[in-house]
Amino acid sequence: MSGAADREAVFPTRQSLGIMKAKLKGAETGHSLLKRKNVSEVSYCQVADVFTIRTNIALEITRRIDEAKRKMGRVMQIAAFSLAEVSYAVGGDIGYQVQESAKSARFRIRTKQDNVSGVLLPAFESYLTEGNNDFGLTGLGKGGQQVQRCRETYARAVEALVELASLQTAFVILDEVIKVVNRRVNAIEHVIIPRTENTIKYINSELDELDREEFYRLKKVANKKQRDNAAADAEMKARREAMEKNESGASKQDSGPADILAAEDDDDVIF
Amino acid sequence: MEGLLFNVNNGYVEGIVRGYRNSLLTTPAYSNLTQCETIDDLKLQLGPAYGDFLASLPPNPSTSALASKTTDKLISEFRYVRANATGSLAKFMDYVTYGYMIDNVALLITGTLHERDTRELLERCHPLGWFETMPVLCVATNVEELYNSVLIETPLAPYFKGSLSHQDLDELNIEIVRNTLYKNYLEDFHNFVNTHSDMAGTPTAEVMSNILEFEADRRAINITLNSFGTELTKADRNKLYPTFGKLYPEGTLMLSRADDVEGVRLAVDGVHDYKTFFDAVSLGGSSGPGNMGGGSADGKSLEDMFYQKEMEISKDAFTRQFTYAIIYAWVKLREQEIRNITWIAECIAQNQKDRIGNFISVF
Repeated sequence: MSGAADREAVFPTRQSLGIMKAKLKGAETGHSLLKRKNVSEVSYCQVADVFTIRTNIALEITRRIDEAKRKMGRVMQIAAFSLAEVSYAVGGDIGYQVQESAKSARFRIRTKQDNVSGVLLPAFESYLTEGNNDFGLTGLGKGGQQVQRCRETYARAVEALVELASLQTAFVILDEVIKVVNRRVNAIEHVIIPRTENTIKYINSELDELDREEFYRLKKVANKKQRDNAAADAEMKARREAMEKNESGASKQDSGPADILAAEDDDDVIF
Repeated sequence: MEGLLFNVNNGYVEGIVRGYRNSLLTTPAYSNLTQCETIDDLKLQLGPAYGDFLASLPPNPSTSALASKTTDKLISEFRYVRANATGSLAKFMDYVTYGYMIDNVALLITGTLHERDTRELLERCHPLGWFETMPVLCVATNVEELYNSVLIETPLAPYFKGSLSHQDLDELNIEIVRNTLYKNYLEDFHNFVNTHSDMAGTPTAEVMSNILEFEADRRAINITLNSFGTELTKADRNKLYPTFGKLYPEGTLMLSRADDVEGVRLAVDGVHDYKTFFDAVSLGGSSGPGNMGGGSADGKSLEDMFYQKEMEISKDAFTRQFTYAIIYAWVKLREQEIRNITWIAECIAQNQKDRIGNFISVF
């Protein structure tokens, strides 16, 4: 590996090795979880499922968006056609009148949040305000039924639009979340795990180096000690031999203890 | 008797209008129109009848542009006839325009109530209901001023006076105002054709009474049907019914008491035509009368049948000689034609060919 650039700045100690190993393990577990690989830990199962669920939901939503868009096409066509019917029946432009007599919204939407496996998705829910019939009298003389029906048709069209908007918002958010997860998987796979591995390798090599140094030092110390010991042993041995010689000499000269100093002065030791 | 002197003043106009009637689209022409694939084809097919007016349209015009151009033709022809009309015929033609005037004034009232710039609304007004002093109405900034200027400046004053005050304009729904005016207008028109010395006892009075009675009945029935489920009370509803027509007085009384479609059916039982309509509607569409949309492609709505009937009456008007009614009938036929063209154009533009036959062709 390229060395210092691709590892974390830690001191190569046993403690940080332990930390790094724990980190690597965590990263690998997380990675396999996010990648939906075989998961052994029960406690993380939920997390793994979350990802699957999210992806499935995203697929489901794409399908529903597709449906909703097709539906919208149909509904809008019918709605536009019902407007044509109105203009046929009324025989004129009622747009202005309708605009002016509409005072408050009849068709409203409520936003609520759906918690889909930890992602908060906004859901739009449409409802009709009761008793709000601002232009109920439009086309009273003629074409009133067409006007009302046109309004209902358009209400349905708007409903389809709201549904589509809800789905698309959910899709965008889910997409974002899934992208984030993917990014995270990639980050773990390509950055965190190699880096942690590098760090461990580095720490290991440093520790090995230290070990080898230590070993050499110990060996040196042992050598020295051995040499010293050998020298000490030899001296000891010589002394002992000399002593034995003296003792035997003394026992030859006189049995009484002689003056050791004098005797030694007399007899040089010959090796 | 009327034949003796009619042509002295009105012969030319009658001739012209009969000529116009001949230029209306016929069933073969309509079937050609329904074969068109694009609006451009349609425009080409309309060439003989509307050539000059459609020439300025861009390729593939919108249906609304088409409608406004075809209306332009009606307007210019009407103005020509109006310019050549004299005496009681001129007055009669003015009466024809009052209906459109009511719509325009209602539009201006709506604008004033919501404090919009009413000058912009002038463009939206129906050209047939245009009167010279209409821009004056735009000066008014509040409803009271508007009310006063309407009373002074417009021919509609008699319809306002007596039944609507300026507070009413403020408080009542504009639709109720409009329909009150229309009721007064129909009654006045009916009165006019039956009492004016030039018209009383002539075919004009006869034909126009027939047309106006039908119109009055149609409005009464429509108002009743459309008011179900709205805040319009029965008493208020009763005020909107014209006081003549085949249904008046028993039918309208029953209409005013009707609570549902069944009640309306009972009310119109006495008049054969309307009874037939209701029976046909209940047979055709299961979802009640007035059902033009949705599933049934061939099921005709009540509205359609009323239009059909109106067209038949208008067509019959041309069988009479020496009558002003042909002008009214011609305008109505022409309006229907414009609606038909717009409908066909809509169907082509929106690719809904299965409903394209839903127009009314009488010739």
